[in-house]
Amino acid sequence: MKLNWFKKAGILYLPNSAMGWLITFACLVCAIYNFIAIDRLSHSVSDTLINFVFRLLIIFAVYTLFGYLTSSDTKE
Amino acid sequence: MIMENENFEEKLIQMTKPEITQLSHQDILEKAISKAGGKAVLSWWWLLIPLYIIFTLLMKSVYMPGNTLVSNIDSLKAGQKITAIVFFLIVPFAIIILNITSIRKVYLITGHPNSLNFLEEIWLNVMMIFISVLIFIVYFL
Repeated sequence: MKLNWFKKAGILYLPNSAMGWLITFACLVCAIYNFIAIDRLSHSVSDTLINFVFRLLIIFAVYTLFGYLTSSDTKE
Repeated sequence: MIMENENFEEKLIQMTKPEITQLSHQDILEKAISKAGGKAVLSWWWLLIPLYIIFTLLMKSVYMPGNTLVSNIDSLKAGQKITAIVFFLIVPFAIIILNITSIRKVYLITGHPNSLNFLEEIWLNVMMIFISVLIFIVYFL
């Protein structure tokens, strides 16, 4: 059964179904949670940003993996 | 009656000459190229993580005297062993394998194509392999 939760748009995978939107929302919540947690412990804005960007890249990479595995094979 | 016969003759001629509007080989090739593109996009986002780490360590070596990229990489390897192994070894290795398999698949399906046309389709995958090799080189500096 081919899942069609995401569709490829350039270098991004956009949600294409309710499940896709759910995953996107979960990643967004994870990113916001990480930002708040890092900001609480950091000493400056640059400290926050440097650590947050790293976590954000990991979240994006995992999101892209979901998108790749659950998108259909048709060419755009 | 004559018109009916003519129509019947035309239908018979059409039936004896089947038209293939799209080859299934074309479909397979399109899917393979689309998958290769997807793998390149996936590789790009995963490779951004070690590239970001290298960029921050490079900036650290530029703005803090006494630091070099090599010493920063060494301290990362000593202090964050798992992070260094995962993002500097495992991820680039997996990406090289992923992209080589998709390049090979496209090459086999196209059947030894003209090199320029072939490169046009797989240049992103080649770039991802190149970046992965660069990350290996930086790790082993």
